[in-house]
Amino acid sequence: MFTEELKAFRRLGFRHVLLQVLNFASVIASGLMIWKGLGLLTNTESPIVVVLSGSMEPAFYRGDLLFLTNPPLERYHTGDITVYKIPGADIPIVHRVMETHDVSSPIKISGLDLKVPGEQLILTKGDNNHIDDIELYQGLDWLERKHIVGKVRGFLPYVGYVTIAMNDFPQLKYALLGVLGLLALIQRE
Amino acid sequence: MHSFFTRVNNVSALLSSCTMALLAAITIASLLQEAIYPPQIQGEISMKPVKVFHAKAPRQRRRQEMGFLNFNMTADLTPLFTWNTKQLFLSLEAEYENAQGVNNTIVLWDRIVRRPEDARVNVIGAKNKYAFKEIGGQGFGKGAISGASYALKFNLMPYVGMLRYGEAARISDVPFDVREEL
Repeated sequence: MFTEELKAFRRLGFRHVLLQVLNFASVIASGLMIWKGLGLLTNTESPIVVVLSGSMEPAFYRGDLLFLTNPPLERYHTGDITVYKIPGADIPIVHRVMETHDVSSPIKISGLDLKVPGEQLILTKGDNNHIDDIELYQGLDWLERKHIVGKVRGFLPYVGYVTIAMNDFPQLKYALLGVLGLLALIQRE
Repeated sequence: MHSFFTRVNNVSALLSSCTMALLAAITIASLLQEAIYPPQIQGEISMKPVKVFHAKAPRQRRRQEMGFLNFNMTADLTPLFTWNTKQLFLSLEAEYENAQGVNNTIVLWDRIVRRPEDARVNVIGAKNKYAFKEIGGQGFGKGAISGASYALKFNLMPYVGMLRYGEAARISDVPFDVREEL
């Protein structure tokens, strides 16, 4: 199956192979630049996330793709759907804000550092859960702005299921990467 | 030029471009429809003074002051259900500022509406679903907080597109009625 391509490579020489590798690398690099550029534009470390759990049903199902932004000066409102990460746990959680407490003058709340104006304390809950997220906070009583990755602005259904399938079946991930790599290297266009 | 791989490549490229264009078109059409024909919604809340007792909230260690609501609410939200509406998330939220200058917004009651037939809200004598606790030290009583505003807010979730937020009804300056120990 590949004899024709291999003959063509030998004919074109080593420089051609190098050119193919360079093309491949520039495709990867531009993909990474677009991703990071999007992250800078939206001020969040991962502007596109996949919903991993069913705790926001029937609004979001597992495998939906969410678009996030994190405007630095805007406060979060109740009803916003936020994605947050608890320090110590790596999974981003997509839940809705139930309570916000905005500090307008410096105040000391037990268990936390001194709060200055502009800071918020936030409590969240998933739509499909009966109780709020206190048990998920790993000892914290409230979420703060620094824990929140971003706010959901829009979404696409089902598109992210590929990532979940790849996480559940790692062989699928390696197989897909292998096939893509092979195709990119032997394509002559 | 006509190999199997090229054909698969071309077809899948065309498929993904068309799908993305369709999704973008749906999003833009929804935004335009909402801008040109803004939905007219109305709602009304009436509420008795909020009773405050010392009680123990579930999953808390000690007793503290908690507020108990008793409200009636009507709203007609059917204009919000368009071809692109997946569901509405309604929430009744309390907004007040406590004696330490902390602005609080707390969701006390919520409902998910999935069909336009259910979009007419009519609750009578409803209670808050979630505990109404005061974060500051002084609690609700002793004149610390004069009153709170309560608003019915909605979140429209589309099948494809941007999330939209709005307010359907509001009542201001509902006082607190602090009672003795429960």
